[in-house]
Order: sequence, then structure tokens, then C-alpha cells
Amino acid sequence: MAKTQAAAVEDPAEEPPSAMWGLDPVFSAFARLFVRDILHMTESTQVPGIYFYNSHPIYKVDVLGTVVYKREREDFFCYGVDDGTGVINCLCWKNDRLKEEEDPNKSEGKHSDAAQGAFSPVIELKKLKQAQQKLCCLEIGELLRVRGPVKTSRQQREIMASAYYKVNDPVMTAQIAWMMEVPQLYRLCYDKPLLHSATSVTALTPISKAKDIIQTFFKQRSVSVFRPYDVQDLLQPLISCQTQTTSVDEEPVAGPSVCQQLRQLLRETLEILHKEGIIYRKVKSQDEVYQVTAQDKDLLITVKDIIREDSKREKYAEKGCHILHILSAVRQRFSLNVNRAALERVLKSLECNSDIISTSGDHYTMF
Amino acid sequence: MLPAAAVFHFPWEIISGSIQEGESVRTFGRLVSYQSEESRATLSAQHASKEHNVVVHTLFVEPFNPIIGAQYIVLGETENAEGVGVMIRARLMNCVDGVNIALLQKAINEQRRFFRERECKQAKDAQPADAM
Repeated sequence: MAKTQAAAVEDPAEEPPSAMWGLDPVFSAFARLFVRDILHMTESTQVPGIYFYNSHPIYKVDVLGTVVYKREREDFFCYGVDDGTGVINCLCWKNDRLKEEEDPNKSEGKHSDAAQGAFSPVIELKKLKQAQQKLCCLEIGELLRVRGPVKTSRQQREIMASAYYKVNDPVMTAQIAWMMEVPQLYRLCYDKPLLHSATSVTALTPISKAKDIIQTFFKQRSVSVFRPYDVQDLLQPLISCQTQTTSVDEEPVAGPSVCQQLRQLLRETLEILHKEGIIYRKVKSQDEVYQVTAQDKDLLITVKDIIREDSKREKYAEKGCHILHILSAVRQRFSLNVNRAALERVLKSLECNSDIISTSGDHYTMF
Repeated sequence: MLPAAAVFHFPWEIISGSIQEGESVRTFGRLVSYQSEESRATLSAQHASKEHNVVVHTLFVEPFNPIIGAQYIVLGETENAEGVGVMIRARLMNCVDGVNIALLQKAINEQRRFFRERECKQAKDAQPADAM
């Protein structure tokens, strides 16, 4: 059993592709894993230094445990930390301050200030440094909190501490809280499989497909004006493919004909495109004509004119024109049927061309 | 180089002899006696309306300040001593007087429950792979 599992994880094909790692929130967090799991995570074959717990990419961890082993070198401490599930080496660099403090001659002359009893930032800073130093130098039996990336050196896992400190825990509150919290984190997060991508979650509906088809059609042909029957045929493949998928057995059931379905889909799609401001109707008449907002030069010029003229007026000189002011002006001068979404699209494209400038969220001006 | 992980065990589990000799354990109890000449301390804990006494060999943690009646956490290896039965050779002994023992027990049980559940799940997940 264990064998098949190990084999499955080692297989590079099983590893999520590295481009997806950033989508996993665990990746950029310090994972609070049990030491046992840190020791048994498999290392990535794509990028060394990245590990996988349950297909979650992990490279930095957060651990709380008792120091059971200690070795001091000139530049760093090596603490063996035991959290009750495993023991791991933690490489804790001494910072420069810690090394400075070891030099006894430096601090001699400053003591005179303290004797006067006055508040002295120098003394306070020194006290602070001493307190910090105390928290960095641990003895066996003390509790250590350490966070940092996981490394494998000489076939041994260790944590390169990016931050570490001694935890004062005389009645074990911190340890008990940790023991209660970590299993909960596993259940809510680490043991849950990663959702692979956003697109697989939201399946494409026929309407969103239809929207895409119509929009690419606009772009490719630079359409500025169209009537519904111009685009109706484009959606034909969506309907036929739908009827195919609903299988042959259901065919005798009387339902809307293919033609009706097509018209229904087109109507809904145009409604959404209209709502989002991608298209609008300049004139509402029997003849159903739609304008494509992005291609409508007249609308673009009208909006530009309005902003140019009105931002000169004293009322709007300082802040620029509010979007609602522009909207009402467009409706007066150009067409009653332009909605806010369409205007927002026009303003955005004008701003992208540096024709206008937004002074705040909803105000625009021009120089 | 690094010692083995000391897993939490309840005192009554240790004295029942269900743990292999030489295994690293950590446990808790109230210090009821200390014989310095023999380096031997006794921790006591209540469970199921019974007192359970665990003998601790304290040579490695001496000198230490014994506070009779205080709660201690001990971390070390089990061994069978003649005449005493199971004894813990302590590498670490911390006074944690004031600890909420009931909450500690709950946390230990919670952690065990988590590992049990996970192993069950892994066994289930692995079975179809075995069948193939």
C-alpha cells in the first residue's frame, strides 16, 4: 500500500505543472504542517526546493516544538525541534546584532546615562536588543517557533529559519492551542485537493460560448453596425451540438424547434451583450439595428467633445466631469439609449489612448 | 544524531506496558516524590478514578528544582527497570504547573483522532490502486 502511494507521488506526471502552483494559496503561505509530514513530503522533480504534501506545492513551513538538540556554530544555531510527531533540524542564523552583543567593550561607555535615570533611547534600544537576543538563544527543553523554507542537505530535511523565536509557554497554552488548531487546518486546507483551474469549475454555458463567437466576429470583421440575422447563423453550430448531446431517444418529445432555440439563444446573448455595454441601439425602431460600442466613432467623438467642452466650464474645471453628467449629456446630444456600461467602455478606451484622464474613480477631464 | 520524536502518551498507557522498551515518549503528571540519591522521581495522574504513578529516572536532567505537587512534563525513553517495571529515562523535565490537564488530554486525543482518520482515508484511497 505504502509502495503504490510513494510510486504515485514520485511520478512526475502526477505532479501539478509548475505554472499552476501559484493558484494554490498554500504555496505562498507558511504551511503549519506536522514535522512528520515535513519529513515525508516528496520533493518536486521539476524544481528542487519545492515539496508536495497531498499535491499541494509547499516550500515554506511554520513549526512549533520543543528543542531537543542544540549545536552552536559561529554563524548559526542548529536546533532539533520535536513537535511530538517528528524531529527536524532548524538552521537558525545569528543576526548581526546578536554577534555584536558578544563584543563586551562596545557597551561600556554608555552606562553613565542609565545612572542618571533619564529616559535614553540608546539604553532602551540596548534593552530591546538584549530582549531580542534572549529570544534567539534557546536551551534544550525550551519551546521554539520557527518559520522558513524547507531544504534538503545531505539527504536530511531541515528548515532554514527565516524567523525564529523562543516561546514562553509556562502552562502550555501555546502548545495546546497549536495541537488543536493544526488538525483543523489539515481538514480545511492541506488535506483538501487543489481545484485545478478556474475554467474547469465554471463550465462554459451555451450563452457564454455564443457571446465569445459574436465578439470575435465583431473584432475580425470590424463590425460597427449589424442586425440580429447577420449573426444568427454564427450560432447555428451551438444549437446542433446541443441537440446531439441530448441524445437520440429524446427526439420524439415535442419541444422548441431548432430555429426557435436558435432565436432564443440569440436573443439572450444580445441582451447580455447589451447589458454589458458591448452593443447598444442608437435608435429604437421596428428595424432592429445594433451598434458595436467599440467601433462607433461617432459616439467616441461625441463623448470626447463633451468632456473637452465641459471640463473648461468652471463647475467642472477642478475635478473634471462626473460619469453621470457625461451620460446625461450623451443622451441629450447623441442617443437616449446609451447605457452606463456602454459609456464606461467608451471612457475606458479613450483613457487607454490618453485622450482623456480620470481624476478620480468617476471623474474625467481633458487638457 | 537527532533523537527520535517523543510522542505524547498518557501515564496510564505507559505503565500498562503497551509501549515498547526504548521508545521515546512524553507524558505529564504531578510530582509526588523525589529521591535525589537514587535520581528517581514519581509522577502521578488520575484517570478513571484511579491514581497512576510513573517512575522517572532523572539523572540526565539534574540538578533540577523539585516542586512537590506541581505538574511536570517529561520527555524521554522508556526502559524496564528491575523492581519498578516501566520507567522513563528523562532527557527533559519541565515544570508546567497551572496547566489545564483536561484541555491537554483533549488536544492529545484530538491529534490522535486526526491521524487515525487520515490513515483510514489513505488506506481507502490506496485500495483501488492495489486492485489494479
